Amino acid sequence: MKLKVLIVDDEAPARERLASLLAELEGVEIAGEAVNGVQALQRTTELTPDVLLLDVRMPGMDGLEAARHLNALDEPPAVIFTTAYDEYAINAFEAQAVGYLLKPIRKEKLAAALAQAGRLTRPQLQKLSAGTPERRTHIAAKHREGLRLIPLEDVQYFLAEQKYTTVKHLKGEDLIEDSLRALEEEFGSSFARVHRNALINVRYLERIDRNAEGQYCVRLQGCEAPLQVSRRMASELRERFRM
Amino acid sequence: MKTEPAAGSDKPFYLPDFCTSRAALAIVLIVELTALMLTLARDSALIGFWTDLARTSLFLLWIGLAGAGLLCWLGEPLKRLPVAQGSAAVLALITGLITVVSLVTFVLGRSTFGGYASIVALFPSEPGTFLWRNVIIGFVVTALALRYFYVTHEWRRNIEMQATARVHALQARIRPHFLFNSMNTIASLTRTHPEVAEQAVQDLADLFRANLSDKRDTITLEEECEVARTYQRIEQLRLGSRLRIDWKIDPLPRNALVPGLMLQPLLENAIYHGIEPQPEGGTVTVTGELAGGLITIVVRNPVGAQQNEREGNRLALANIRERLGLMYGERGLVKSGRFGPEYIVTLRFPHIESRVKLAT
Repeated sequence: MKLKVLIVDDEAPARERLASLLAELEGVEIAGEAVNGVQALQRTTELTPDVLLLDVRMPGMDGLEAARHLNALDEPPAVIFTTAYDEYAINAFEAQAVGYLLKPIRKEKLAAALAQAGRLTRPQLQKLSAGTPERRTHIAAKHREGLRLIPLEDVQYFLAEQKYTTVKHLKGEDLIEDSLRALEEEFGSSFARVHRNALINVRYLERIDRNAEGQYCVRLQGCEAPLQVSRRMASELRERFRM
Repeated sequence: MKTEPAAGSDKPFYLPDFCTSRAALAIVLIVELTALMLTLARDSALIGFWTDLARTSLFLLWIGLAGAGLLCWLGEPLKRLPVAQGSAAVLALITGLITVVSLVTFVLGRSTFGGYASIVALFPSEPGTFLWRNVIIGFVVTALALRYFYVTHEWRRNIEMQATARVHALQARIRPHFLFNSMNTIASLTRTHPEVAEQAVQDLADLFRANLSDKRDTITLEEECEVARTYQRIEQLRLGSRLRIDWKIDPLPRNALVPGLMLQPLLENAIYHGIEPQPEGGTVTVTGELAGGLITIVVRNPVGAQQNEREGNRLALANIRERLGLMYGERGLVKSGRFGPEYIVTLRFPHIESRVKLAT
């Protein structure tokens, strides 16, 4: 069985170089290529590679975020990060004993890294993303055979259910495992808590209504059903948006 | 040489290492010179010059080598002390040592060689004066030596700091990110397109030559634009169609004198912050105008919705601002800021013509 490798880098020469290096290695097969994090996740579910060579700095979704989403898969592939120069990331990789390669990559180092490539563990991923000010650009929801990536700007609201959290977005609804509290911490600047169980994207906020019983609710663009607002949150919300 | 300060103090004690054979040799030499000096300064008619030199040398060698041994042995704990306390400790140690050696000398002269008058003449006859003289001389000499070590240590530290500052300044000019990515591109092209790789190596060499040049202060706008285009060629290989640069600089006088390396860092910022983070890339626009004796150059690049200004950006801008200020005073101007979906940097400075005619 050959090791299937997916090359992820936004720069064409960098992908070409990796491809030609991999072609010279025994027992390795190139599964495919991707130019950013989003594409990497798509290709991963389509091609089921064993290892991802993942560039850290990419437009759209970067390597660190892609690695976080990958771990939501049932059978996540192993990850080796590649970077030309990124002091912060390299320190984090060293500290977490995560496999990484420095560009221009040497063939021997590539072979050695592939031989011992391992999956990232949850604590490793948490430590890697801690300290990066950047928040995720997408929400990954596990699907029948892979991941559905929901761009953050498409999310209308998060609703906490008993065990899961529902993500309502422009193209439908999905279930994710993140807690509402963690989501609020990460996306607090563009989302607002309206109720114990609901976090809304403020860009879709249309208006705040008050019904006959004196209860408040918010109407969001593109959502038919209004969401309940707790009394305490209502005044905060009206203050924040001067409504 | 290591410059990291010892744990717990930001200013490490300055004592040199006494545990080396070089230090021992230096001490023997210094001791002999001091002995020579002391003997010459003294009237030694009673026992003769050479005998006096020999006994002084012997006495001083004892102190010198024992002192070096002591400082070598106690070096580690001493180096952890702050400067003032460390100096006081060394002074106390050496003074104590001199006291001990002086007393031993005196006792030795009394007991062992008591029978021979010619030998007794070599030893001090009275302990009090002998002891106090030695202690005071030793105190002064040790204090002077410590002062010397301190000054040379500070001087060396200063030089090291200056060198580090220069390296940092250099790094601010050449982004490591750019260097390593270019190397990677060249490594890739060497296999697929050797002739393009060759061109890229030449471009990179030119760019570094421009960056490392000491005569960066005055070059012509023509040369400056060539550096910027060289840089563009390298980045183009890496970013392909994602990078587009729109040059609108025809109205600029090509022989105008400009501070070197002001356009290239702006392009570098524009690409790093404006083009690379966009999956589809974008266009950097460079516009140049000449009006009323003033040259205006504007560099604009698209910015993402959630991007903040980063440190590298401010460094390069501060550097350019400083150099324009040095060259033109109040008349040089750098403005920068985000305007809607764009980040715009404007440079304005007086048009000074180069005396060297351009070959066209």
